[in-house]
Amino acid sequence: MSPQLFFLLASILFSIGLVGLVSRKNLFVLYMSIELMLSSVNLLLATFSKVLGDAGGSVIALLIIAVIAAEAALFLAMTVHIYRNNRTVDSDHFDKLREEAHNA
Amino acid sequence: MLSLIVILPFLSAFIMGVVYLGDTKKKRYLFYTLIGVGIPAISTVLSFIFGIQLLGGSEPIHHTLFQWISIGDFNIEIAFMADRLSVVMISFITFIGTLIHIYAAGYMKEDEGYGKFFAYFNLFMGSMLLLVLADNPIMMFVGWELVGLSSYLLIGFYHKESSNITAANKAFILNRVGDFGFIMAISLLFISLEGSGFTFESIKANISMIDHETLTLIGILLFVGAMGKSAQIPLYVWLPDAMAGPTPVSALIHAATMVTAGVYMVARYSFIYIEIPDVGLFIASIGAASALFAAIIASYQSDIKKILAYSTMSQLGYMFMAVGLGAYSSGIFHVFTHAFFKALLFMGAGAVIIALHHEQNIFKMGGLKKELKLVYITMFIATLAISGIPPFAGFFSKDAILITAFASEHYILWSIGSLTAMLTAFYMFRLLFTVFHSQPTQRKKLHALPATMTTPLVILAFGSATVGFLGANEAYGGNSWINTFLALPDRALNISHATEYMLGGLNVFLGLLGMGLAYKLFAQEAQEAKEDSLFRKVVIHKFYIDEIYGFFILKPLLVLSDFIAKVMDPKIFDGFIYLNVWGYRKAAVLFNRLQNGKVRYYALYILIGVSVMSYYLILKLKVMS
Amino acid sequence: MIDNILSHIIFLPLLTALLLGLFRAKITYLKIGAMFSSVATLLLVIWTAYHFDPDGGMQFVKHSPWIQNTGMSYFIGVDYLSLVILLLISLLMPPLYIYMYHEKRKGYWYNMMLLQTGVTGAVLSLDLVLFYLFWETMLLPIFIMIGKYGNGLHQYNSMKIILMTIMGSMSMLFSIMYIGYVYFDTVGIWSFALTDLSTLTFNIKTSIWLTAGFLLAFAIKIPLVGFHTWMAPAYGSSPTPAVVIMSAIMAKLGIYGIWRFGFALFDTVLVYYAPTIIMLALIGLLYYAIRAITEDNLRKMFAYSSGSHLSLIALGLFLTNIYAWSGSLYLIATHALATTGIFIMIGLTYKRFRTVQISALGGIASKAPKFTFFFTFFALSIAGLPGTGGFVAELLIIIGAFKANFWIGVLTATTMLSAMLYIFWMLQRTLFGKANNDSDYEDLSLREVVMLLPLVILLLVTGIMPSLFTPIFEPQLTASLQEIINVIGGLK
Repeated sequence: MSPQLFFLLASILFSIGLVGLVSRKNLFVLYMSIELMLSSVNLLLATFSKVLGDAGGSVIALLIIAVIAAEAALFLAMTVHIYRNNRTVDSDHFDKLREEAHNA
Repeated sequence: MLSLIVILPFLSAFIMGVVYLGDTKKKRYLFYTLIGVGIPAISTVLSFIFGIQLLGGSEPIHHTLFQWISIGDFNIEIAFMADRLSVVMISFITFIGTLIHIYAAGYMKEDEGYGKFFAYFNLFMGSMLLLVLADNPIMMFVGWELVGLSSYLLIGFYHKESSNITAANKAFILNRVGDFGFIMAISLLFISLEGSGFTFESIKANISMIDHETLTLIGILLFVGAMGKSAQIPLYVWLPDAMAGPTPVSALIHAATMVTAGVYMVARYSFIYIEIPDVGLFIASIGAASALFAAIIASYQSDIKKILAYSTMSQLGYMFMAVGLGAYSSGIFHVFTHAFFKALLFMGAGAVIIALHHEQNIFKMGGLKKELKLVYITMFIATLAISGIPPFAGFFSKDAILITAFASEHYILWSIGSLTAMLTAFYMFRLLFTVFHSQPTQRKKLHALPATMTTPLVILAFGSATVGFLGANEAYGGNSWINTFLALPDRALNISHATEYMLGGLNVFLGLLGMGLAYKLFAQEAQEAKEDSLFRKVVIHKFYIDEIYGFFILKPLLVLSDFIAKVMDPKIFDGFIYLNVWGYRKAAVLFNRLQNGKVRYYALYILIGVSVMSYYLILKLKVMS
Repeated sequence: MIDNILSHIIFLPLLTALLLGLFRAKITYLKIGAMFSSVATLLLVIWTAYHFDPDGGMQFVKHSPWIQNTGMSYFIGVDYLSLVILLLISLLMPPLYIYMYHEKRKGYWYNMMLLQTGVTGAVLSLDLVLFYLFWETMLLPIFIMIGKYGNGLHQYNSMKIILMTIMGSMSMLFSIMYIGYVYFDTVGIWSFALTDLSTLTFNIKTSIWLTAGFLLAFAIKIPLVGFHTWMAPAYGSSPTPAVVIMSAIMAKLGIYGIWRFGFALFDTVLVYYAPTIIMLALIGLLYYAIRAITEDNLRKMFAYSSGSHLSLIALGLFLTNIYAWSGSLYLIATHALATTGIFIMIGLTYKRFRTVQISALGGIASKAPKFTFFFTFFALSIAGLPGTGGFVAELLIIIGAFKANFWIGVLTATTMLSAMLYIFWMLQRTLFGKANNDSDYEDLSLREVVMLLPLVILLLVTGIMPSLFTPIFEPQLTASLQEIINVIGGLK
């Protein structure tokens, strides 16, 4: 199996994740897209580890999986709270950071 | 010393001014009179002393006060020069000036601004003497402007009445328009002669350094200054209005002295004007035109002072005719004689005005010859003088001018001059007969006239009768003494005695003709001129010149000012600023819309930003290779 | 002490203000402190002037590093040009404080002290960044004085002057930064000292933009026509002490900036800009005067008058001959004196009549002769009456103009006509004739006369004996001018 195939797969996965992040409103889908991007990076790391014969890449990949797990827990917990308070998981709903409309 | 002649009046003006401001209500009559009249008297004595020295054949006397400025080649000193020309001028300026000061002490006695008046009056004397005695053009200009300032202050003396201030403004502004030309002339003169000293004597010595074109320009521009100061066409309109000032002011400033500064200036710069006879002809023409123009208007005026004002403008025209044609001494001689009889006429008019409790319309006077005998006789003498009847002074001076015109073959000028002579006699005798001969109007008892007002009249009458002989030509038995003494570069004339007698006789005839006409029309029953024909209407309204100036100059200025205020500043310059503000606001609204608070948009922005940066870093700056 | 005298002169007012502020001084102590600081500064300045050598160049120099790595140094010194402006500042503050005698608002006093430091520092700085610092410092007190204590549309007008001035300052800052960078590039170390930077040369295109940056700031300050719309509103809404400093000092600093920095850094490029600036100055001379004719507000009228005379000064500066330069310097001094006088008189008018609208005034001469005298005197000084310093200055500039070019001379001579357009009618309506209101008011008090008298005396002395003052600046001025002429070969 040539590494190029793996690169291609990683890029495709990353792109799908990116597009999903930018264009979807649902918090869960946002999270899935982020996960997808992270996974594609993981894959890339593992591939390079094999290609360059450096074990460091694989180690980092395993570390990342641990971090992802923690992050998942956190994110999902927050989402549950958000849903409980706002009855919605539409990210567009939360726009308090914007400027108040003024009578210019 | 020479400087004292100038310094003393300034000093006394300063002292009186400070004292006056200290307490304007206090009457200090003695103090002000002593200083106010005494100082000019001292200046008179000093002037005569210097006059006698120069008569004895001494060289021009110089005195330098101190260095005024020294920058680059521009080195000017406050310095005075008493040469023959200036000594003649200061003699009569101080002498007649002191007489008028004495007169004013009587005239202004009741006025609460007595101290202020004498402060201003002395300021004027100092300025005029500075003008005449200056040894360089810059100091002359300083005197020139200060005389304008004094004129402004004195015309506006009765400041409670706004129209007087308008007259004062008019005087100063028109003077300044003239000064605009004057200062251009001086600057040009300096630049052309740069590096070789800037006193009258050094300019005279170096005059050949300047090319003819520049010289012509300088000559014209200098005369522009004279047009303003000496009320010639077109800058004359302030003079009639200047009569709003107290009569002594009119007598001193607007008859005997300030207005003649222009003539003096041309004589002083005679070394320039002899090189540019074309400009001289221009000056003479303006003079002749002004003389005739003013005489016509004077013939229809009813206010005694305004008649005399136009008369002054007319006589000034004669003086400019003279100096324009190169007869500098004759011009100065006419200045000299005119000072005597014009001052007398004004002071007499003032006496009549006071006697009649401030009436100034001659048609409301009449039959005063018995009650104001002294005034009548002295004014009669002055009127004879101004009409050019021998042996009174005016004959000799006016005659000299007309002879110059005739002999230099400028017959148009000569005929205008002669016609004006007739008109002069006419309107002056019209004034005399209407005031003193014609039927009297109903009036109160006359106000008494103090001796301070009547004595100067007598002295000046004596002068008007006699000083003419100082300049009489050989034809009449004199030896043109004043011409010889002044030693100005007069143009040489070739004219036979016979022609002189003929012309002289013609002048006398014209004078008598005018007098007779006036007698016929006004001695019995004097009537004010009515606006019954178009010609009369135009002349009585002084040819509508004031209205024309208002329309073509004042109004456009006001419109322009308004335009700047309402259109240019707010719409154009501010408009540019507001354009920027509008742009900023629009951009702000645009940027506002990007910040919608939605997180996925922000994610998009991050994406775009990182992509662009990476692209730039990797491909353009080649960070990776 | 002598070594650092300039620093003392700059910072004494500021330190006094800080000290008084720290102790929350009561208003009486504040007044005494301010008065003390201004008089003390004046004495120091007089001492400096007395020991000033007319043939030396920059004197009393102090050059210490400030922010070492960036090349910003504390570099101050005084030469003939700064000395004149320095004298003016120190001379005008005491009379202003006397004017403010009854003023109980503390802000006035603090701001004026800060203002004095700002303008003094600006005129003595020889380091570009230091100059910029003081240049900006001047604006803060003005902002507060107009914005908080002004009248009319004061907040709007305050914003307008600040924003427009800062716009110019910003472009100047860009130029300064770029110049510093170029210096670093060529020489290897950072420096913003004028003496170092003036050795640089740039290619034409760059220097045109750099000069534009500087000139924009100064053109707005003077103001030249087109950049002036902030002026009349700001002057009109401003309280008297602020407006005096604005007209007498800050406007002149615009000229000073070109004189000091423009000629040192960009002498060749200024030739490129000279025709435009001369044209703007000549237009401005008459534009402002004509605008002033129909102005009813006295402060605004003399704002325009100020603009007119400043345009004349700018004109003289760009004519690069000895007469025009001397005239400009002389006019800087005499106009500052005259404009201080007239604005103080306008302030006194406001105190008595609660208005500065000409249409509401009149008939003052009958009741208040001293007031009339001072008012007329200052007005006529502005009009350039011989006997006052203004005449000497205008005469010199006119002669300088004729030396350069005949037509420029003719147009410059119109300054004889410009002031009288509005002054005489204004005097008539304000002082003479009948009164338009029935206020009961007093003539000038002794305190007010004492405040105004030095100005009158100085104006008369500068008019009657200019030779007292010309030797002080003539040698150095001629020398600097010669240097410029050597580089650019004279104008036209």
